[in-house]
Amino acid sequence: MIESFRSLFAPPRHFILIVAAMWIGLTLAEKRTERHGVTKEQLNNIAFYSLFGYIIGGRLLFALSNFSAFSLSPLSVFSPNPDLFDPTSGLVTAIFVGLIYGQRQKLQLWGALDVLAPIFAILSIGLSLAHLAAGTAFGSPTTLPWGIDLWNATRHPSQIYELIASLVIFGWLWFRETEASNGRIFLNFVALTAGARLFLEAFRGDSTLIFGGLRLAQIIAWTILALALYAIIKIQSNKLHNAEERGQ
Amino acid sequence: MTISKRRITYSIILILGLAWIFVSTDRTGASTSGKIPAPQQGFLAPDFELQTTEGETINLSDLHGQAVLVNLWATWCPPCRAEMPSIEKVYNEYKDQGFIVLAINMTYQDTFANIAPFIDEYGLTFPILLDETSEVGTAYQLRSLPSSFFIDREGIISEVVIGGPMAEALLRTRVEQILK
Repeated sequence: MIESFRSLFAPPRHFILIVAAMWIGLTLAEKRTERHGVTKEQLNNIAFYSLFGYIIGGRLLFALSNFSAFSLSPLSVFSPNPDLFDPTSGLVTAIFVGLIYGQRQKLQLWGALDVLAPIFAILSIGLSLAHLAAGTAFGSPTTLPWGIDLWNATRHPSQIYELIASLVIFGWLWFRETEASNGRIFLNFVALTAGARLFLEAFRGDSTLIFGGLRLAQIIAWTILALALYAIIKIQSNKLHNAEERGQ
Repeated sequence: MTISKRRITYSIILILGLAWIFVSTDRTGASTSGKIPAPQQGFLAPDFELQTTEGETINLSDLHGQAVLVNLWATWCPPCRAEMPSIEKVYNEYKDQGFIVLAINMTYQDTFANIAPFIDEYGLTFPILLDETSEVGTAYQLRSLPSSFFIDREGIISEVVIGGPMAEALLRTRVEQILK
């Protein structure tokens, strides 16, 4: 079954999974816009502009960082080839564009992030499926009975672990976090995702290692987890403080 | 949950997280990089031995120390045709620095008679290899044409590009990367 799935969505068709996830996420998020003080139009606009920023920013900054290669063939900047792209720069640009749009529309930041959280969760599901299809983010060799044959070894099905974690996180956000929450939904998504990465990275076979065999992604995930948990406590303290003030 | 209970729970989670980081360190030098031959970034490029259109035998392992682009193509594939002029141009720019292109025709799914006119039409000067038994197609788990594998001087696959045509700038950035 996994092999059939991998054949069906073999690169470059695996991008379909990410686009489909974006569409499903947006459709679901639309259902919960009103309770967070965001209109459907604003949600769609923020998603569209951020996506536009992601594509343009990722391509332009890739071109700038490889200026010598592009100066000899400047038209390559318009090439449909997705490999001419820097995802990190794209992400930074998308966040920047989203923030500018939100500020111009006077959107409440945490409310907007709460609306966007299900989109991120569904995207995370799409991304793990794309990893499975492309055989990227692969696991380390294992003798466990549920290992999968990939890249000439029996490996941890790290992409399936990632998929299960993403499904659980989405389920948690969608079915438990139904109230307006001033950022708690988004922060829960960040904390749960960082926690899952921290745990699951141990089974990856492509980790970037730093001194002593430490896995870089785990250290980054732990830091993000700590910040998210701190922010959740801060929000809850503020809420309590405000409730006490109102009580007096 | 009260804030103080939440603080304690979160602190325990973070301490367990730190412990997990140290428990799961990879002291073996991690990853599979360069140890197992597989057609994926970070792995040793699977070796092969094929004949060129001129009857010369080429082994990938004999090219250790050179930066290699293995390009899988067929004459009937439009993106393969579209990217050939760029590959030829970039090959001529970098060949003196130790860069070589192995353009492997998927002969088992192509028409042999079309290969020579194709080479003449595009004026290709790099070696054209013939995969008549799908040896390379199978070893490189070919799923889409064209497929390109950029292999560094150590024989490790640095980048895989599935589909095409590849833009000239993409070729240059990847070639410069494997020449380092």
